[in-house]
Parts: sequence; C-alpha cells; structure tokens
Amino acid sequence: MVSPSPAASPYDCRPPAPVNSRVEPFGPNALLVRFQNPDPDAAFLLIQALLRNLETHPLTGLIETTPGFHTLLFEFDPGHRPPPDALASLLDQLPAPTPSPPTRRRVVDIPVTYDGPDLDRVAAQRGLSPQEVVVLHSAPVYRVQMLGFSPGFPYLAGLDPKLHVPRMATPRPKVPAGSVAIGGEHTGIYPVATAGGWHLIGRTSLTLMDLDRAAREDPDAFLLHPGDGVRFVPVTSSPQPSAPPPATQ
Amino acid sequence: MTRPILEIVDLGMGVSFQDGGRRGWKRFGVPPGGALDDHACRWANRLLGDAEDLPVLEILLMGARFRALESVEIAITGAAVSGSAERWQTRRLEAEEILTFGQPSHGVWSYLACAGGFEAPRWFGSVSTFPRGGLGRPLARGDFLHASGFPTTPSSSSIGTRWVQPSERRDYRDPGMLRVWKGPQWESFDASTRATFFQARWEISAQSDRTGYRLVGPTLTTPSAGIPSEPVLPGSIQVPPNGQPILTMRDGPTVGGYPKLGLLDPLDLSRLAQCRPGQSVQFQPVDR
Repeated sequence: MVSPSPAASPYDCRPPAPVNSRVEPFGPNALLVRFQNPDPDAAFLLIQALLRNLETHPLTGLIETTPGFHTLLFEFDPGHRPPPDALASLLDQLPAPTPSPPTRRRVVDIPVTYDGPDLDRVAAQRGLSPQEVVVLHSAPVYRVQMLGFSPGFPYLAGLDPKLHVPRMATPRPKVPAGSVAIGGEHTGIYPVATAGGWHLIGRTSLTLMDLDRAAREDPDAFLLHPGDGVRFVPVTSSPQPSAPPPATQ
Repeated sequence: MTRPILEIVDLGMGVSFQDGGRRGWKRFGVPPGGALDDHACRWANRLLGDAEDLPVLEILLMGARFRALESVEIAITGAAVSGSAERWQTRRLEAEEILTFGQPSHGVWSYLACAGGFEAPRWFGSVSTFPRGGLGRPLARGDFLHASGFPTTPSSSSIGTRWVQPSERRDYRDPGMLRVWKGPQWESFDASTRATFFQARWEISAQSDRTGYRLVGPTLTTPSAGIPSEPVLPGSIQVPPNGQPILTMRDGPTVGGYPKLGLLDPLDLSRLAQCRPGQSVQFQPVDR
C-alpha cells in the first residue's frame, strides 16, 4: 500500500512562506523550537529541512526530536544541551526551505470502508449526505503533522473545513483498532483499540503498528511517519443501511 | 540462554517489567516508559554488578508474591516495605522460597533485580509494557519470569552480601522541596497563579498512575487561550481547565494541549514518584 509519490504532493508545490522561529529552554535537557508563523506548510518544510540537516550534521548528545503542531522538541543527554542561541543560529544557517525532493516524500494509500457508527451523525451535523462526507474526506492528500495520543496515532492535517466537528464531550470507552475518525480540524486513525473521543466515520484493515517489527526496533513498525502524505481510498462494501440520523447527540 | 527463575504467585497491586526506558520513539507517539524511580532501579542492578538499565520488576505497593524456581541472587530497592527481604542489599533466594512484598511504610514502588537481569519481550528497545497503547500485556499470576544468562553457582554467593551506602538510600518519608523549571506557557499564567503554585502544599491524588500524578490543592487560573498540541516531557506540570495540575509521568502522552506551567527537574522525578496518595508535596523554582 505504500508507494512512492509519483510527483510531488500538492503541498510540496507551494512556494514556502518565511518562517519565524523561537528557541526556548524546556528544563535543563531540552529545547523547544516554536514556529511563530502559523502557516503549517512553511513550518513543516522548515522542520523537514532541519531534520534532514541534523541527519548529516548530528548534534552532540541529541537523543530525541518530537514534532508538535507548531513546535519541535529537542532532547539531549544531561549536560549536552546547547544554549538556545546555538540552536537558533543553526536554524538561521539553514537554507530557505525548498520543496523536498519527491524521492524523499511518500504518500501512503489507506483503504477505508466508510461505515463508521458516527458517519450519519457527522453528515447531519454538517448538513451533508454521508456520501458527500466520503467524497470530501477522501479527496485531499493529508499530511502526518504528528503522531501521539497513542503509539502510531496520526494527526492528519488538511481536513476540509466542511468536515470540522468538535470532539465528543464524552469519549467512547472503546474504539476499535483501525477506526478512521474526525476530531476537530484533524482526521486520524486509531492504531489500537482504546478509549477515544473522535467521531468514527470508517475503518481500515491496514496495520498501523506492527509488533513484530516493534520487537526488532524497526522504524517501519509504523506505517506512517511524521511528514508522510496520506490518501484515503474508499473501499466499496455491502450497501449501507440508511438509518435516520439521531435527533440529538 | 534464558531460564525461568521466579513464578508470580500473587500480583498484589501490580507488577511490571521496567528498565531504563526507550529513546528515539516519541516522534511516533511512544512514551519513554521505564522505571518511575530510576534511582532505586539503578541501585538494584548495580548491587548485582549488572548494567544499570537491565530489566527489573517494578512492584506497586503491596501484595506481590513470588516463588523461586531455583537458587538465585537478587537485590531489592525502593519503597520501605516490611517483608521477607531486606532493602538496598543483595540476598540469595533458595529454590521454593516464597518472597512476599508487604505493606510499605513509606514509598510506592519497589524494585526487584536478579543477577544477569530478567529476560522479557522488548518493544522499541525496552521491556516497559504499555498495554493501553498496544505494547505488551500486564503480567499475570502464574507467569514464569526468566533470567538471561547462565545460572550463578552457589559458590558465587561467597562474595557475600552487598549493600548500598546509607547516604545513597532513600526512606521516602519526605521528598523535600521539589525543583521546578519554567514551562513553555509560564508567561501565560498570571503572576498570582504562579505564586500560588509555589506557596501551596499539593496533595497527591489517588487518581495517579504511571501516566501522571494528579495534584490536589488551590484552583489555579488557566490561561484563556488554548494551545495547539505540543511535545510533553515527563515531569511536565500541565494545568487542565479544572485548575488542578497533572504531573506527567513516564507512560504519559508524548504530546498534549494543556498549558504547561513548569517542568519538574528530571532528578526530582523519582522523588515525586515515590510519594503516596494523600502525601503532600511542595515545589520551589529552580534558581536560574
């Protein structure tokens, strides 16, 4: 299902905007880079450029980098954290972010059966038909902005604003693994069965976290990596029973 | 080569494999895991002459019981527990001997190490299980626990009992003032809220676990503006809308959207971890 992107994905083609970043200390062993410019595409390209640069010019004692939505955390071995200014000047020295070469990008196709228990309610809430939800949801190439909540859970950016729905006030005690869901302005996939407050619109049979590979410390244990593109491909199944939307949530 | 050395006769309040935790996997949403009291965990391994981060058993409070399947050298550190074994020193368990963890007078977590370290499944380089995230299952009564390496012959016990210097032992009666660094949203909290945080005595809530320790005390005023989710470190002091701080522990989420008032100094995380529900703690700013 993972295929190299034949061409640069849409978000790679835009000219990157200038990015303002600030480096803050976060305790004695970590630095947090905050991207002031809220343009997620520009910040994303800068993060990718920075991480590529660090691969070829590693920092002494750097043990982890963790992306957030507008942030990137650097954790160092005790005693190895450089002063914030040092990391800031490293950021300044980076060439202006350019579209990454297509060979370094990948877009993962995720087959989805759109029969989630919340599909009809999400559609009704947004004044759409379930079929329109499917069309809107499967149109974009999303970006894995970050992974969190549970191991391998992707926060996918690029959801059509017509599909933004606030998270449920009361989370479900158990969401099945493989559930494709909408939460606020993001869409995502539950890698394992867990409690969760996002709206379930479909499911995929793909494994997002491979435990055999996890045992071997293989990064490909995770289907999705930060920065990957994601495309949802509707899978036809038996006809949907047309249940009326519930009167209230 | 591995061999079974212990059987879990009783889980008590909880037993899990832990080690130094994993690094490099947070960007995939995998928390670091690892022993909550790394000071005690390291000493258990050091006593046996092993590498500090070998797998040990982390035992919650009381009730756990183990049966030795052969003669084996062990070390126990951590919570002050009146049981059948001395703390902060090595000892030899004989075959069929039952090792019981009784009620601790102070502290929460005990650590049991065996010579050569336990052998357990690893995910992303650590034996630390994380069932909520799909990594491993909790240990169960009747499980056999394996040691790696070859059996130590009884003659090796002639090296005698080793113990930790009293100055390095902790009794967990009082964690002392816990040092806190400014968190990423420090400036977003108003001055009186910041002052209140450091003046108050905070009680550890019973709703505390390896994910986070909840603090009960005066209601803190949270900044009005929400933040987009950003990376979280163990020791992060997050303030949710109810104004009662949550101190992130080693199985806590890797990213979060609550404002972070501060970060507990990494060296004080083990001290806080051994505080029991109902115990009160106090924080002081790191003078830098």
